[in-house]
Amino acid sequence: MKKQLGFYVDAKRCIGCFACAMACKNQYHQASGVVWREVYPLKEEIYPHHERAFYSLSCNHCEHAACMEVCPASAYTKRERDGVVVHHQEKCIGCANCVRSCPYGAPRFNPVTERAEKCSLCWQRLDAGLEPACVKSCPTNALRLIDLATFNEPNALQFPPGYPRMPRLNPSTRFRQAELPKIIKPEDME
Amino acid sequence: MIPSMELPLVFFTILSQLAIGLTLLYALRTAGPSVEPEASAKTQWIAFTGILAFSLIVSLTHLGHPLLAPRAVLNLSTAWLSWEILTFLLLVALMAATAYLGVTRGFVWLTAAAGFIALFVQGMVYSPSSFPAIHNVLPFAFFLDTAVILGAGTSAWFAPKDKQPLLRWILVGALSAGLLLFLAAPCIWLSGGTAMRLTGLAYLASPLYWAHIVLGLAVPLAVIVIARRIPSWLPILLLAGALCGRVAFYLDTIHTGVNIGGLQ
Repeated sequence: MKKQLGFYVDAKRCIGCFACAMACKNQYHQASGVVWREVYPLKEEIYPHHERAFYSLSCNHCEHAACMEVCPASAYTKRERDGVVVHHQEKCIGCANCVRSCPYGAPRFNPVTERAEKCSLCWQRLDAGLEPACVKSCPTNALRLIDLATFNEPNALQFPPGYPRMPRLNPSTRFRQAELPKIIKPEDME
Repeated sequence: MIPSMELPLVFFTILSQLAIGLTLLYALRTAGPSVEPEASAKTQWIAFTGILAFSLIVSLTHLGHPLLAPRAVLNLSTAWLSWEILTFLLLVALMAATAYLGVTRGFVWLTAAAGFIALFVQGMVYSPSSFPAIHNVLPFAFFLDTAVILGAGTSAWFAPKDKQPLLRWILVGALSAGLLLFLAAPCIWLSGGTAMRLTGLAYLASPLYWAHIVLGLAVPLAVIVIARRIPSWLPILLLAGALCGRVAFYLDTIHTGVNIGGLQ
């Protein structure tokens, strides 16, 4: 398998602190209301406990990226060397077709530049031998950069509950599911 | 509130479907012999071309960078949107050629066929997997029905008297099919996954959706059945109803991204 970088989202470790989203914002200073990384709380129907669990999500750098397929101006490319899906601002005509078509809502429309934009997986940092800003900022190591060619975590999931199942796109994000805490009742102590 | 950038698409899709509907209906009603002559065919085809050309200009205003619009045909290998632009440009050229080189049967049917293909391509543009409710043939079915309704209704202004019963029957059929299609779709969506179910609920709670059902489909159908003709004011009501329905289509179709973290 060719090198394919992606994110490993460890929902068991994530505490929902938004450090990853803030690091992304600090790195790229997106326009107001435009976010490349979002922290989604799991709803009670999936995680029925009063302490919440989270998925920190951005672009999934899919094998067959919807954004790249639907862009009429060929403003998206996928890097051969690591599978990162890159949006080329100068080629974007601002039709927002990628914004509508990505099932994960990764590309966003920037009302200032009137162009789409999305997570670049910090490819400039990667090329300089650095980790993406979001990964570097995570205080619990709940967000990691993985290479699917060498990734070997038998319990990792590609489509956990709460995440749109789109096998044809083959998103590169992998998950560890949150576990419900073990509640010890008084009778268990006896 | 509908995002402002979608309004040009509402007008583009409705006006382009009106132009295609007029083309299809012209081909159908001139296929057989006619007792009475058509109104100036050239004038009609200039009008069809003008409507489509205007809709294409309106679509440019939806782009963040309209001057880069020529780039929109660069991804013919995978993007239906590139094909949509190409087919609509070919269609407007064919319409103009029909108007200026002569309204012959060959040109008329070629243009009608190109219009049908353009509707199919337009339907594919609006059926991405991110909208599970319309990730199927429904957008094409919606668009084809709208084109036939608007085309048949508006053609009544130009068509000779002996062709009016044909137009009336086509319009009754299209309105009946539209009622069935637009009423059944949200009910079927209610039994789907979360995004599909939310789409069904949003449609059923939308005043614009019901305005389309009542003003754009049910009332015109009742008027035609009772009056046994297509009144001259009816195309305006059909157009208003179709516009309401199209705004609802853009506004109330739910994206998978809205329910990340919940049951899909």
